[in-house]
Amino acid sequence: MSRDGWMKKKANTSEDNGWAERGGYMAAKVSKLDEQFKLDAPREKQKEGTCSGIFSGVAIYVNGYTEPSADELRRLMMLHGGQFHMYYSRSKTTHIIANNLPNCKIQDLKGEKVIRPEWITDSIKAGHLLPHLKYQLYAKQKNTLFSGMIWHHNSETAGSSHCPLQPSVHQKLHLPQQNTEFSVSHSGGSSSSCRNNSIPVPVHCEANLQSTQHSFKARLVNPKLSRSESSQLSDSRHSRSSLTNPLSNQCNTKTHTKHPHKSPQPAHLLGEELKINGVLQTSLDITSHSKMNEMQECREDGFCSDGVSKGVNKAPLSNGHVHPFNGALKSEDSSLVRDPFSSHRDVSKCKIKKSTDKPQSPPKQMNADPYEFPPSPPKQSDLLPGFVEQPCTQGADGHKPPTSHEALQANDIQLLPKRLHPHTQVPAVSEQTPPSVSSRSTLQSSVRLNGSHQDAFSSDLTFLSTTSVTAKPDPPTDETSLKTSDLLLEQTGGLISEYYSHSRLHQISTWRVGFSEYVNELHSKRKATGVTSCPGKDRLRKSTAQRSTNSQGTSAPGSIKSCIFHVDMDCFFVSVGIRHKPELKGKPVAVTSNRGQGRVPIRTGANLQVELEYYQRKYTQPGKADDDLSGTPSQDTPDSYGTGTDQEAAALSMAEIASCSYEARQAGVKNGMFFGKAKQLCPSLQSVPYDFEAYKEVALNLYEILASYTHDIEALSCDEALVDASALCTEVGVSPDDLAKAIRADIKEKTGCSASVGMGSNILLARLATRKAKPNGQYFLRSEEVDDFIRDLPVTNLPGVGHVMAKKLAGMGVKSCGELQQVSLSQLQKKFGPRTGQTLFRFCRGLDDRPVRFKKERKSVSAEMNYNIRFTTVDEAECFLTNLSMEVQRRLQEAGLRGRRVTLKVMVRKVGAPLEPAKYGGHGICDNLARTVMLAQSTDSGQLIASAVLKLFHAMKLQVKDLRGVGIQVQLLEGNQSVTHDCRGPRTRSIKNMLLGQGLSATSNNKDTRQYPTVHPSSSSHHPAEPLPGTSKDHPECRKRPKHSRTRLNFSIEVPSPSQVDLSVLEALPAELREQVEQSWTKREERPNNFHPLNLYISSPDPRSASPPHPVPYNPPAGTLVLQIPNQPDSPGIVLELPNFSQVDPDVFAALPKELQEELKSAYNRATNIQAQVKTVEQKNPLLQLKQPGVGIGIGRVKRRYKRKNGVSPLKKGTSPLKRRQVTKSPSKTIPPAVRPQEPMNVPKTENDPSTSKQETPASVTPSVPRPVPALAGACELTDIKTLLREWVTTITDPMEEDILQVVKYCTDLIEDKDLEKLDLIIKYMKRIMQQSVESVWSMAFDFILDNVQLVVQQVYGSILKIA
Amino acid sequence: MTTLTRQDLNFGQVIADILCEFLEVAIHLILYVREVYPSGIFQKRKKYNVPVQMSCHPDLNQYIQDTLHCIKPLIEKNDAEKVVVVIMDKEHHPVERFVFEISQPPLLSISAETLLSHVEQLLRAFILKISVCDAVLINNPPGCSFTVLVHTREAATRNMEKVQVIKDFPWIIADEQEVHMKEPRLIPLKSMTSDIVKMQLYVEERAQKA
Repeated sequence: MSRDGWMKKKANTSEDNGWAERGGYMAAKVSKLDEQFKLDAPREKQKEGTCSGIFSGVAIYVNGYTEPSADELRRLMMLHGGQFHMYYSRSKTTHIIANNLPNCKIQDLKGEKVIRPEWITDSIKAGHLLPHLKYQLYAKQKNTLFSGMIWHHNSETAGSSHCPLQPSVHQKLHLPQQNTEFSVSHSGGSSSSCRNNSIPVPVHCEANLQSTQHSFKARLVNPKLSRSESSQLSDSRHSRSSLTNPLSNQCNTKTHTKHPHKSPQPAHLLGEELKINGVLQTSLDITSHSKMNEMQECREDGFCSDGVSKGVNKAPLSNGHVHPFNGALKSEDSSLVRDPFSSHRDVSKCKIKKSTDKPQSPPKQMNADPYEFPPSPPKQSDLLPGFVEQPCTQGADGHKPPTSHEALQANDIQLLPKRLHPHTQVPAVSEQTPPSVSSRSTLQSSVRLNGSHQDAFSSDLTFLSTTSVTAKPDPPTDETSLKTSDLLLEQTGGLISEYYSHSRLHQISTWRVGFSEYVNELHSKRKATGVTSCPGKDRLRKSTAQRSTNSQGTSAPGSIKSCIFHVDMDCFFVSVGIRHKPELKGKPVAVTSNRGQGRVPIRTGANLQVELEYYQRKYTQPGKADDDLSGTPSQDTPDSYGTGTDQEAAALSMAEIASCSYEARQAGVKNGMFFGKAKQLCPSLQSVPYDFEAYKEVALNLYEILASYTHDIEALSCDEALVDASALCTEVGVSPDDLAKAIRADIKEKTGCSASVGMGSNILLARLATRKAKPNGQYFLRSEEVDDFIRDLPVTNLPGVGHVMAKKLAGMGVKSCGELQQVSLSQLQKKFGPRTGQTLFRFCRGLDDRPVRFKKERKSVSAEMNYNIRFTTVDEAECFLTNLSMEVQRRLQEAGLRGRRVTLKVMVRKVGAPLEPAKYGGHGICDNLARTVMLAQSTDSGQLIASAVLKLFHAMKLQVKDLRGVGIQVQLLEGNQSVTHDCRGPRTRSIKNMLLGQGLSATSNNKDTRQYPTVHPSSSSHHPAEPLPGTSKDHPECRKRPKHSRTRLNFSIEVPSPSQVDLSVLEALPAELREQVEQSWTKREERPNNFHPLNLYISSPDPRSASPPHPVPYNPPAGTLVLQIPNQPDSPGIVLELPNFSQVDPDVFAALPKELQEELKSAYNRATNIQAQVKTVEQKNPLLQLKQPGVGIGIGRVKRRYKRKNGVSPLKKGTSPLKRRQVTKSPSKTIPPAVRPQEPMNVPKTENDPSTSKQETPASVTPSVPRPVPALAGACELTDIKTLLREWVTTITDPMEEDILQVVKYCTDLIEDKDLEKLDLIIKYMKRIMQQSVESVWSMAFDFILDNVQLVVQQVYGSILKIA
Repeated sequence: MTTLTRQDLNFGQVIADILCEFLEVAIHLILYVREVYPSGIFQKRKKYNVPVQMSCHPDLNQYIQDTLHCIKPLIEKNDAEKVVVVIMDKEHHPVERFVFEISQPPLLSISAETLLSHVEQLLRAFILKISVCDAVLINNPPGCSFTVLVHTREAATRNMEKVQVIKDFPWIIADEQEVHMKEPRLIPLKSMTSDIVKMQLYVEERAQKA
C-alpha cells in the first residue's frame, strides 16, 4: 500500500465520517464510497500479493463493533473480491457482520443474515467460502458459544505472535500501553507498586495473592475474572473515541492470550488481577471524588494512564445511564466480602454465588464507603467491575445462569481479532507510521461504533468539526455572530417578528382568537344595545313563513332540544385560493409555499432518509420511539441509500401542503404532506400560493354570515365554527336541515366557497357529522342513529385523540369507538387520568356536554419558534429568549392576561441526528425538553419572563448550537381586563385592535420588540421567583410597561417608600397599620428612593377585630388588590383584601383617584360573583367547604420564602382565626356567618399585628390541582396551622363547636390524605396548647377532637394513635 | 415540546428503584434500631448522607434483598399499597409493625424540577426518623423475629402467584395472626410527598408488649 493511497483513504474516511454524522447526500456518498472501494481494491491486492475471489458476490456491512474491526474487514473484502458497504442497503448488502447486536437491532434485522466476523477470516483461511450458517450470530446460543470456543484455541498463537510488535505503537499512544504494562508486569513488582498506591487496594491485593496461590481457587476466580475482563472490554469500548480502536483491541487480545495459561501460572493471573485493580481504582475514583489526589498519585505511578482512567470513568458513567442504581451492587457485595465471620475461602465462594445467583440484587449504594468508615476493610475490588457491568450485560432478561456464560461470550468476542492480526493489523502497524494509524482508526471507529454508547461523543466530535460548515447556510446566526449584543438582540428580534409575520400557523392561530373576540363583541354589543340585528335570521323567518303557507307544516321543527351546527369550509385554503381561478376547479390543487415542480436543490448536510426512518419508526414502534437515535438501525445501518429513487426523494420539496382539494386527496395527497412527495403521488397536482388576505376576507365573511343568524357561535378556527342553533330553530321554526341549507347557500353566495355543515345534538356529534357531510354537504346525525354511527368510527375520529393516544388505545386493543365502549371508565381513567378518561368514556358513546362557548378561556399564552433556530453563541440564544419573552409579553397584553407559571421549552437536536435537517431551517429530529418555574406573582412583563426563562435556560446547560426550537409558555393565567390600567402606562391595545390589526400586521409586534432592545444582561440575575425588594434595578423599560400585578395568592408585602405614600392616607390608617408601614420603611432605608407613584393599597383585614375606626372599613371578600411598586419588576406587590362594598365609605371612595376607583369596582364585581357561589354552597353544609380547591403548595412556598426574607409573619389573625376565614367569605370558611357576631371583638392581639395581614384568597386561583391539599381555614402549612391553632386557643375562651368540628374535619382530611405525620404533629401540638390552657373547656375540646380523630384512624387503619 | 411523562422514562421503574433502595436501608435500620438482631452484625454505613446501620449477615441480607427484589415489580406497577416490616415476638404475634404506605402523588410528573436529590432528602428524613423511633416506642420483648408483608392493591397477588420473580422464593398469603395485632397503637413517623412518590411511614405497636 503506497503512502499516497493511504492518505487518500484517510481523507476519504474522514469525510465519510463527517457526512455520516451530519447526514450528507447519502446516495452520492454511497456510490462514492463504492468507487473508492473499487479503486483501492487493486492497490490493496497488489500490495498484499495474495488475493482471491473467495467473496465475489458477497457484500458485507459491518454493524457496530466487531473484532476484527470494520476496516480490517474492509481490507479483507478488498483482498478477496468482496464488497464492503459503509451503509447498509437491504437490496445490495448480502451479509451483515456483527459481533453482538442490541435487541432492537436484532429485531430490526430479522430475516437478514447476521454473521459473525469469523466467517470471513475462516473462509479466507479455508480458501473458499464457508457456509455462513455456522457463523450466524443469533441462530442459537449454542452455536455462538461453540465457535467462540474454537476461537479461543485458535487465537492463542496468533495473539502471541503479534505481541512483540506492539510496544512501538504503544509508545505513541498512552492508553494501551498501560494495559500492556499491567498484563506483562509480574506479581511482585506490580503488587508492591500497587501498595504504594494508597488506600484499600494493597490489602486486597494480598488477599488475592493468597487466594490465587491455591490452585483450586484459581478456578473459582476464573469466571469472575472473565467477567471483569468483559467489563474491561466494555470499558475500552466506552473510551473508544479517546482510544484508537485496533490498538485497544490488540491490547485486549493481549491480555487474553494469557487467559488459557492462567490456571497453571498464577503469576500471569496475578498480573491480570492487578491490572484489574488498577481499573477498579479508577472506577472507584468516580464514586469518591475526594480521593482524586490519590488517584493522581496512582497515575503517576504509572498504573493508570489518563486514557485508562478516562475510559474507565466513562464506563461506569454510561452504565449509570443504563441502570442508575447498579452502583448499589457494589457495597452490597463488598459488604459480603467484608463479612468478618466468613473465612477467606468463603469470600471467594460467596463472590461466585453472588455473581451467578443475583443478576440484580436490590440496590444499595454506599458511595465512598471505604473512606467514610475506615474500619471497614477494602473492597474486593476485582469484583467491582464485573458487578458494575453486570446489569448491563444481563440486560432485561434478569435470569440467573447466563452470567458466567455471557462472560465467556464476552471473552471470546475479545479473542476474535487475534486471528486476524497476523494478516491485518500487524502489517498495518509495522508499515504505517503510528500517527496515521491512530488517526485512521479513530476516524473509522466513530463510523463503526455507532451502536455503542459512544455515540454522543463521536457525534460531538464531528459536530465540532463541522460547525463552521453548518453555520454558513444560516444567515441569522452567521451574521449575528459578528455583531455586538445590541445588534444581536435586534437581529434576533427581527427574526422573531419576521417569523411571526410569515408563519402560517401563527397567523391562523391568531385568527381564531380574533374571531372568538369578534363573536364576543357581538354579544357584548347585543347586551349593550339590547337589540339584535340578525338579517339572516329575519330572512330565514320570512322564507319559512312563506313556505309554511305554501305547504302546511312539512318541515316542522318538531321537538329539537338541542342542535349544534358544525360549519366547516371545504378545504378552505384551496377553495379560497381557486375561487377566482375557475380553470383550477375540479383539479387536484394544493396550497403550499412551493411553486415549482416539487424539487429543490439538494442541500449539503441534510439527511432526509435518517429523519424519515426515524419518524417512521417512531410511529410504527411506539415503544422504542424515544430510543436514542444511535441505538436504532438508521444510524448504524442507514439502509437503502443506494437506490436512485431515494436520491430523488432527498431532492424533493419539503414544503408542506397546507390544504389540498378533494381531487388531490383522492390521489392520496394529504394535508401536511411534503409537496415533493405529493407531486410524485399526483403528478398533475397544481400548487397555489398562500393568500392570506383572501383567507381573512373569506373568513370574516363566514363569520358575518353566521352572525347574521345567531350569535351563539364558537370560533374554532378561521374556517370552522360551532353554532348553537337550538334557539334559532325553535324561534324561527325551521328544521336544522333547512337552516343548514340556508347557511351553506349564503356562504356559497357570499364567499364563492363551499362549506359543509354537520349537525348533532352536541358538539361531538356535530363534528362527527361533518366528516360525513364533507365535501360540500350537510348531515344531521340524529340521536337515534348515534349508536350505530359511532360504533364503527375509529377512535382517532374523536376529538382529542391524536396519534399518541391512539397508540395507547391500540395497545389496549382498542381501535374503534365500539371497542372503546367496552372499556370501563375506571380503566380509562387509570390509563389516561381522571379527566381524559372521563371524556373518552363519554365521547365514545356520543356524549358530550360541552356547551358552545362564544368565549373561550385561555389556558396559556405562548410563543414558540422551531424554524430556523441556529445559534452559535450563548449570547445569541439569550437575546433570542429575551425577544421571545417580549413576544409573549405582547401576546399576554393583547389577551389581557397575566400568568404565573413560565415554561421554557426547547428542542434540542437529538444526539446522533443529522446536524442539518432535511427541511430547510427545520428542526429535524429533536429531543423536547421543558422546564417550568413559578413566578412569585402573575406577570405580563416580558422582562420578568425573560429573566425567569434565562435562568431556566442556563440551568439546562444546553449546547446552544444544538438548539432547534425555543418556546416560552405562560400558564396559570389570570384575567387582566377587569383591572384598570396603571396610571402611567395606559394600554393602547384593545381587543378590537387585536382582531383588526392582527395577522398580517406584525407592526405592533415589531414595535414592541424594538421597544426594549437593550435588556441588560444583569436583569437575568433577578429571578422573579425570589423577590429581593432591595436589589431590584430600575430599568427604563419597565416604566413604559404597565404593571398590574394581581396576585391574590401572594402574601408578600411591599410597602412603598415614604415619599410615595399619600400622607393623608397613611394618617387615616389605624395605628398598628401605620406603625407597620413605618417600620418597614426604616427597614428599607438603604433602598433607592426612586419609586413611582403606586397604584393602590390600603386595607385592614378584619374591620371588627382590627380597626373599627378604619377609613375604608373592610370585610374582605375574595377581592384583593395588589400594591405594586411600579419600577420594581421583581418586587411583589401588596396584596390587599377588599372590604365589603357596603362598608366602603363613599367619601373615601370618591376621593380616590379615578383609576383606583375603577380597579376597586372591578374587584368588587369579581368578588360578588365569587361570594354568590360561596354562599350557596355554604348554606348546605359548613363542612363541605373545608376542602379548598386549588390551594396549591405554591402558595405555601411563596409564603415561606417571603417570610424568611422579611421576617414579618404573613399570617395575622384578628378574632378566632378559624372564624376569620368565615368572615372573609373566602370559600374555605365553613362556619355559617350567623355564628360570628357572638365572637369576642376585642380580643387582645397576640404578637402578630393584624393590621397588615395579608390573606390568601384561594378562590381566585384555579390551577389544576387534582386533589386539594387538606387545609384548615385556608392554611395548609404546618407552621400556619400551628399559628392558627395557637391563636384560636389563646384568644378564645370558649371554643365554638363549629370550630372544633372544622378542626376535626381537617384532621380527617389529613388521614385521608395519608399525612399521618402532620396529623400527629398537630394533635400533639393541640394537646400541648389545649391542655395547658386554663380553661378546662379546651381540655374537653381536645378530648373531643382526639376521640373523633381516633375514631377515623381506627376506621382507616384499624388502630388508634398513640398519644404519649 | 412536551414535558417528560410517565411513559417516556420508565417511570415506575425509577420509582421502584428508588423505593427499594430506600426500603433496604430502612429495613436494615429498623432491625438494628428495634434490636431484632444483635448489634454485632451491623455495620455503620453512609446512605443519603447520614449514617445508617447495615447488617453484614449474608443470609439476612439475602433475604432482604430477595424480598425487595420481589416487591420491586409490584411497586413498579403501583400495586404495592403497603410494605410492612413486622416484628414478632417469640409466639409469632406481631408486636410492632413498620408500615410504609406507598401511593402515587396527586400530580405525577417528572418535570425538569424533579430532582432526585430532593427525593433523597425526603428519604433521609425517613431514615432519621427511623433511627430515633425507639424514643417513642416501647422496648420489644427479647427473641423477636421479623417478616415483611406486602399489602397489594387489587389483583396483584394473583400475578405474584403466577410469576415468581425469584425462584424458590414464593410469596404466601400472610397468616391472620401475623397481620392482626391486639390493641394496636399507631405512631406516625414520617410522611413525604414528592413529584414521583407519596409515602408515609407509621408504626403500629401492640399496647402490651411483654
